[in-house]
Amino acid sequence: MSHGTALPLSPVSPGAGEGTRTHCPYCSLQCGMTLVGRRTTTVQPWAEFPVNEGALCRKGWSATGLLGHRERLTTPLVRDRATGEWSSATWDEALDLVASRIREVQAEHGPDGVAVFGGGGLTNEKAYQLGKFARVALGTSQIDYNGRWCMSSAASASTRAFGVDRGLPFPLADVEHADVVVLVGSNLAETMPPAARHLDRVRENGGQVVVIDPRRTATADRADVVLQPVPGTDLALALGVLHLLVAGGHVDDTYIAERTTGWEAVRDAVAAWWPERVERVTGVAAPELRALADLLASRERVMVLTARGAEQHAQGSDTVLAWIDVALALGMPGKEYAGYGCLTGQGNGQGGREHGQKADQLPGYRMIDDPAARAHVAAVWGVEPDSLPGKGRSAYELLDALGTPAGPRAMLVHGSNIVVSAPRATHVQERLESLDLLVVCDLVMSETAALADVVLPVTQWAEETGTMTNLEGRVILRQQARPVPDGVRSDLDVVAGLAQRLGSPIEFATDPEEVFAELGRASAGGKADYAGITYDRIRDEQGVFWPCPAPDHPGTPRLFADTFATPDGRARFHAVEHRGPAEVVDGDYPVHLTTGRVLAQYQSGAQTRRIGDLPDDGAFAEMHPLLANRLGVADGMPVTVATRRGEMRLPARVTTTIRPDTVFVPFHWLGVNRLVNDALDPASRMPEFKVCAARVVAA
Amino acid sequence: MAATRFVEGLVAGGYAGHVTVLGDEPVPAYNRILLSAVLEGTHAPDALTLRSPGWYAEHGIDLRTGTRVLAVDREHGDVMLVDGTLVPFDRLVLATGSIPTLPPIRGVVRHDGSLHPRVHAFRSLADCDRLLAAVPTARRAVVVGGGLLGVQVARALSLRGVATEVVEGGEHVLHRQVSTPAGKILARSLTRLGTTVYTGARAVRLHEQGDSVGLQLDTGFVLDADLVVLTAGGRPSTALARGAGLEVRRGIVVDDHLASPTDPRIHALGDCAEHRGVTTGFVPPAWEQAQLLAARLCGADVVHEGSRSVARLRATDLDVAVLGDPVGEEGEVVEVSNPVAGKHSRLVVRDGVIVAAALVGDLSRVGLITQHYDRGTVLGVREPGDLLLPDPVDAPTVLPDEAEVCACAGVSAGEIRACGSLEELRETTRATTGCGGCEQTCRDLLGATPRLEGVR
Repeated sequence: MSHGTALPLSPVSPGAGEGTRTHCPYCSLQCGMTLVGRRTTTVQPWAEFPVNEGALCRKGWSATGLLGHRERLTTPLVRDRATGEWSSATWDEALDLVASRIREVQAEHGPDGVAVFGGGGLTNEKAYQLGKFARVALGTSQIDYNGRWCMSSAASASTRAFGVDRGLPFPLADVEHADVVVLVGSNLAETMPPAARHLDRVRENGGQVVVIDPRRTATADRADVVLQPVPGTDLALALGVLHLLVAGGHVDDTYIAERTTGWEAVRDAVAAWWPERVERVTGVAAPELRALADLLASRERVMVLTARGAEQHAQGSDTVLAWIDVALALGMPGKEYAGYGCLTGQGNGQGGREHGQKADQLPGYRMIDDPAARAHVAAVWGVEPDSLPGKGRSAYELLDALGTPAGPRAMLVHGSNIVVSAPRATHVQERLESLDLLVVCDLVMSETAALADVVLPVTQWAEETGTMTNLEGRVILRQQARPVPDGVRSDLDVVAGLAQRLGSPIEFATDPEEVFAELGRASAGGKADYAGITYDRIRDEQGVFWPCPAPDHPGTPRLFADTFATPDGRARFHAVEHRGPAEVVDGDYPVHLTTGRVLAQYQSGAQTRRIGDLPDDGAFAEMHPLLANRLGVADGMPVTVATRRGEMRLPARVTTTIRPDTVFVPFHWLGVNRLVNDALDPASRMPEFKVCAARVVAA
Repeated sequence: MAATRFVEGLVAGGYAGHVTVLGDEPVPAYNRILLSAVLEGTHAPDALTLRSPGWYAEHGIDLRTGTRVLAVDREHGDVMLVDGTLVPFDRLVLATGSIPTLPPIRGVVRHDGSLHPRVHAFRSLADCDRLLAAVPTARRAVVVGGGLLGVQVARALSLRGVATEVVEGGEHVLHRQVSTPAGKILARSLTRLGTTVYTGARAVRLHEQGDSVGLQLDTGFVLDADLVVLTAGGRPSTALARGAGLEVRRGIVVDDHLASPTDPRIHALGDCAEHRGVTTGFVPPAWEQAQLLAARLCGADVVHEGSRSVARLRATDLDVAVLGDPVGEEGEVVEVSNPVAGKHSRLVVRDGVIVAAALVGDLSRVGLITQHYDRGTVLGVREPGDLLLPDPVDAPTVLPDEAEVCACAGVSAGEIRACGSLEELRETTRATTGCGGCEQTCRDLLGATPRLEGVR
């Protein structure tokens, strides 16, 4: 099928000074682009930006489709609970209403009666300001964000192994010089297409690409080695690789002795993971595992990159630790063009987790239960350290507690479409509906906004300025290219307006550059230190990599060359065990259900589903002909996919590229997240989006 | 191995009592099933160690290696070691494994009970070391016993440069695991790899022949050899249990709690145990029993229902997987045989479920078939047959005009064909400018467009 190309086209990069240099509103690649025209805005390439070199996917090219969209909200809306009807309100009326309701709830239920839920797509300034607003103006510990459902397992694992969590500890373009790049659970050719250009250059340069995924994806199509394990068994696969590296004498003993601790326990534990045992658990034939281990052992520079496929599991952080063990055993982290990295998902998944939007963290990737961290941040904010609340609930646990006797009774949501993106979404929707007050800040009437008592229309991407931190830890600047539509305000204005109405002891700035400067001071001395970064430097240097502690510091494109960020400077091995998925297939639910993304849509689809130039065919159930024949369905026929939590009806898409015991459904539409399991990773609190037990029948 | 797994289970379950591990080998437990990999040279011997002595110490476990147990005294609740030491117990777990069966071959065992210097068993790391030490000076070897272990050892010796022959008393190699046609295919594969198989033959006598030995078969053949390796299977090691008066049949009898019906304080697991009349020689059931017993001793109420076994041959260039008992299991048999290509696959299916399977020479679907077997997946009518056949290969087709070629920009084959050049394509449609993955297809589509200037 063709979806036309009504996009305004221009092959040439605009000249310097023409248009606004900015970045795509979607994924963590944050492709550079130029926006031209203040009224009718078009996307033009920005060829010099090194991450994407002018390339964009159709989501980026069509991103202006949401500017001036007819569904755009331009006035605050208040819903009458009795009739369900919406009425428009002035900003003052809406903010007064929200503030008074917050006061009522907090008077009855205490400060933690109100929660804040943020997003991984918000700018650093907004993420920072939300965290500060929650802790100071609301005095609540109950703040977390949807990034918890993104890369939190990798964040937890990286922190434990390396002492710091920066998605990629090197620029993305470094992959081109690796001898082997192992992608564990990443379909970057579809989820961040321009990144695939770097991958192709690995092969042009004589290297090899390995893709590990239950589906033979578009990314696998451009790989040399493809392994298709049973969903939820990437950990066992890593243990099998480690076993073979030990067996063949391929571990880097010198590196292990000089730069790591904890190897002995890992070495002993993997003695029990011989290839044939791994085969039985993972469904990957022993010879394929041997071939992978031989490949890794025979090359100088090996890079292991994980993404959601490996991470979104109840054993996601252990899975990442196991793959980090592989990289460490080979002596790779800290070596040029080698090591371990995580391919973050959301636009500001990286920055969003660094500046206090997480339940357990303060700006600069500081831990909220660390007295020194509290003292530093409180001083920047001009409040007493003791006034800051402690650790709150993680994202899913927060949602699960809403409206319960011990949980929050009101919640403010910024940049998140929870009803579509949360696991066990029907239950989460019930929790949202049980609140006394739900306030949603969004551009459009998302599925979540539709449940709110008050909806506040906020600025988007091209209508505001702010920084993002991409998957490389590069802090970049999105610049305003369009006037703010009448009736719309920034989340920064919302926070400041509410803080003032709530009698906050301190003021909240609304100018992004001013907020960023404050963020820099708050992060100073922390792991994610932004103190030396300014908007001007970002403009001049095509982004600045953190940590950058001082104005004369060049930033840090590559970490770990000499030392790791642990107290003793050594990386940590972790001996982890394969536990398997929380819900195993059985006679009633005999098929693995896994979820993921498609190229033309982004996350919950609140933005992309409204863009006419992007094809929107709805969800589908991808399955192998062996399974389709068993069910008696052909390509395009309707099927019902059911789990213990819910069911949905959707067309079958029959293809030989998926494991025959697995069915895949994309999650951009309301539906499949009602089916997935809410089992959480004990360390990262990541829900198990990527595998649960399902039954599929012809509908 | 079962004991290590059991102790790991106790540690994980937070077992409150004191644990002593007694083992007669001089080293801590190791991954025994990889011994043939050490022999072959793919595994370093120290990579087999399951838990280092430090691990036992760290968890407060008293590990005593090189310690042989002489007797179990149930009345006093202790065991006596060969040096006379008494170790008291509240609970005793016997994980004594199996001991190799010595075939009745005259001349193999000397008067003092030791093996002839040219003859090797293959059960322990010490056996493996001794055999490896003999390999450099050996030119020819005979392996007695054509089961999984025998074939692995034969392949390993062969890869070490020793001309190796296999003697198997049954009709074909792996006769307990695979059917006759599959066994014949295996024998042919072995021959192709340089290893001759003598089936339906028993070794009866070992002759001294100066520097080497001659192994005489009951068929009259005498096989010259520098090495003879005995891999004729094993039997549960039950002597301690017998001595203690516990019920023993082929193995040490245990109930669904893995306890001896004679004395509920005493358990047995792994190769030495007999549960519901079954003894096994494989790791997975032994580990299942170990985990289950550890969980029980840590307070969980679980019972043992029996295990599914998957046996895999670990030998370079020989691909064999055996799921359950494909020779003895009742059911409908779906087979695909291709002796020319050295492949034979057999599924035994009952009520749509794969209850046993043997895959020889073709492991392309082993992962999936094992998943279906382990999970008891109910398959469709055609599915067992389809599982044994490769995925249909898509015939190369001409892309229809409406097929999307560039997913990044959403450009169809027809739109690409309408362009005259890659440059024009990029300018008018942005095809190839995203991830770049469709560039070759676009070039092909553009190249296929008839161009007028090419016509004369």
